[in-house]
Amino acid sequence: MRSFVARRAAMLVAALLVSSFVIFGSLDLAPGDPLATLTGGRTLPPEAVASLRAQYHLDDPFLTRYVDWLGNAVLHGDLGTSIAFRGTVTSLIGARVGTTLALVAYASLLIILFGVGLGTLSGLRRGALDTGIVATSSVLAAVPSFVAAIILLSVFSVNLGWFPALGAGEGFVDGIWHLTLPAVALALSAMAIVVRVTRVAVRTEMGREHVQTAVSRGIPYSLLVRRHVLRNAAIPVTTVVGITITSLIALSAVVERAFSLDGLGAALVQAALSKDFAVVQGISLVFVAAFVVANVLVDVLYAVLDPRVAMGSRAT
Amino acid sequence: MKRVPLARAAVAALAVLAVAACGKAAPDTSSSGGTTSTAGAGSALSPTTPAATGTAGRITWATYRDVGTIDPIQAFDYPENTVLTALCDSLLRQAPDGTMGPGLATLTHPDEKTTVITLKDGPKFYDGKAVTADDVLFSLQRAADPKGGGFYPQVFSRVASMKKTSDKVVTISLKEPDFWLDGELSQMPGIVVQKAFAESKGRKFGTPQGGLMCAGPYKVSSWKPGSTLNAVRNDDYWDASHKAKVAEIDFKGVPDDSSMTSGLLTGGIDGSYVQALSTIDQLKADKNKVSVFEGPSFASDAIVLSNLKGTLKDVKVRQALSLAIDRKAYIQNVYHGAAQLPRTLANPGTWGYGKDIFQADWDKLPDPNPNIAKAKDLIKQAGAAGKTITLGMTTEVAQLNTAANAIRQAGQAIGLTVKFKAVSAQNFINFFTDPKAREGIDGFPTVNYPDYADPAAFYNTIVMPDGSQNYSGFADPQITKAMNDARSTADPAERAKFVAQAGDRIMDQLPWIPMAAINTTLITSSKLTGAPVSFAYMGGPWANLLGSTGSGS
Repeated sequence: MRSFVARRAAMLVAALLVSSFVIFGSLDLAPGDPLATLTGGRTLPPEAVASLRAQYHLDDPFLTRYVDWLGNAVLHGDLGTSIAFRGTVTSLIGARVGTTLALVAYASLLIILFGVGLGTLSGLRRGALDTGIVATSSVLAAVPSFVAAIILLSVFSVNLGWFPALGAGEGFVDGIWHLTLPAVALALSAMAIVVRVTRVAVRTEMGREHVQTAVSRGIPYSLLVRRHVLRNAAIPVTTVVGITITSLIALSAVVERAFSLDGLGAALVQAALSKDFAVVQGISLVFVAAFVVANVLVDVLYAVLDPRVAMGSRAT
Repeated sequence: MKRVPLARAAVAALAVLAVAACGKAAPDTSSSGGTTSTAGAGSALSPTTPAATGTAGRITWATYRDVGTIDPIQAFDYPENTVLTALCDSLLRQAPDGTMGPGLATLTHPDEKTTVITLKDGPKFYDGKAVTADDVLFSLQRAADPKGGGFYPQVFSRVASMKKTSDKVVTISLKEPDFWLDGELSQMPGIVVQKAFAESKGRKFGTPQGGLMCAGPYKVSSWKPGSTLNAVRNDDYWDASHKAKVAEIDFKGVPDDSSMTSGLLTGGIDGSYVQALSTIDQLKADKNKVSVFEGPSFASDAIVLSNLKGTLKDVKVRQALSLAIDRKAYIQNVYHGAAQLPRTLANPGTWGYGKDIFQADWDKLPDPNPNIAKAKDLIKQAGAAGKTITLGMTTEVAQLNTAANAIRQAGQAIGLTVKFKAVSAQNFINFFTDPKAREGIDGFPTVNYPDYADPAAFYNTIVMPDGSQNYSGFADPQITKAMNDARSTADPAERAKFVAQAGDRIMDQLPWIPMAAINTTLITSSKLTGAPVSFAYMGGPWANLLGSTGSGS
């Protein structure tokens, strides 16, 4: 166990280090100049330009800037200063991380609850219900979240007035109310995919020899489903749920924009547009870290679900 | 002096990507079905909305992105200016119609090379301390300092010295007469911040950590970087007759058009000054929930001609191109009618003084309607048939794309070939900032506006040899002289004559080609009223005029 944790921690650090370099480098290579953001494209006197370039270290060579940034990040936990928001990146992330976390958690909950729930139901019951679920999920799987956002907004917010159109709300209940439409928009297509995978997994397990044998031995249906079907179906389902939830982290940007949520994704898009290097770097690293951690959790779950899987090795 | 900024363009690009199927087609010259009802109106648009009668509680005001800084000398774009004009008073005050009057101070000119700033009795900062001449001098020097990190040092280019001459008076000595400086002191460079506070905050001044100390109807209550800025009414505001009626304003960045629309329709957003909102017709249709107002603006939609050495060297070619543009169709397509045909390059909303002079000039000028026969004749005279013009453009921002296509269509109609050099929305700004990006292109579309209501403040950047947006090296002795005469003329009516003269000649010489004189669009909840519907919100007070339509809530 200890070596597993140590290995994973080392992987996290390596992933962060490599991605920080890659992001820093690609931002440097991308066309455009952060000075345009600082000046709004106004023609400033040369002294003013020089002063701005010096203040934000725009003329230092690439490696110098990267090493400076890395040093500050590692030694002082300082991820740099945003040129667009004139604040530290850590305070920007701090102010926004809660919204994104709540949104992704809410959407994940919806995916697990409805995706796995409906998929299991559909897998166990053949008939109209199954057909209905399969048809609906086929449609929903193809709806990108920004389209879902626009439809949900126009139906449930503008026309029916049940949910607010923007903002993350204040407090728990208000927060849930505000985040419901965004979470649904974010979860919808992933949910549909989970439904289909769960359905197939349950069907496959139901047809397995040991389940047929269990049925013939007269094992109660509920016990059969829980112990023999769901337990075994859980492994592919966990894989898919894990992948979809980690992808939500990146997708959240689209939904945050559509609902004007002050989250990390929305800030990332804005920062990338204005060449706000430090912010892009900081938020990207948070996403990378979240991605790695989510994968570790999935691996741990494999080991819990399937005793044959040793901690840290991949289930196949 | 200013232009639709990078971020706005990029945001618009995203909006376009999000609704990819809704890209606008180029206006079709053959079917100019849309008519602009206000064409030829000049300054006829009203800059005000019905006065507010009651107070209101907490409201949300949307800007196209979140506020980045509240340091006045670093403010140049819509979100920052909208917030700062709500928070801080300037030395002079811009009225909704663009005229300027005393603000924190009165300005006098004992002689044409001296400007005397005399503080009023009474102005107080948020902390109750009086505004002093030291604070005024500090604020002006801060704005004028090229190393101060601000955007306005050029405004002070004719200043020889600034001195405190008594507790209430700061005297500015000028190298040459400069009556443009007065206008600048009515907006961002004229905002007075508290010296002691600003010095104690250093580089953090105006950031979420450092905050702001000025004299104004609202003060910042809470603000986290890159998110909603909450401003509360300053109950001790020095100017009792202009106290705010709305208790609290949350300034929220809403970059997405559909989010802005649903926010306004559901009451999540109570108001916004919007720029070319694609869903404006949908909002206009819902009169019970929102009020949509249109008023004068400083902004001009135009084609920047960045190279006058190629095909466009001959003024006849420029005139022919301009004559071939179907602006009515363009205005209908891009602005849904919320713009006028531009008889001058500057928008009539910029007539902050000498209105009669400018109006008479406008009335005298023809509407720029297409005249293909005349245009073809000019091309023939210039021997330019078959020549090529290359336009820098981006297909990712609907307005810029449509403008470029309108020019292509105009060019083709008169026998010119118009080629495009397309770039991404993010890189469009490089045409303004990077000479290399301008290599090989003859022009590019823009929306551009001056800082205060004066056509000269706009022309200045385009036609003067040292103008910040004079990319082509355009120089016309008559225009330069009229502009210099205007800058040195104290009497507003006389000054207006020089500016109108320059304006007429600009329309003849066409250093840029005007496309449309845009209106300011204000959208508020139907429960709110009072805010000016003019570009003055970018430089003068607006939030304290806002209140409820009823007797209070």
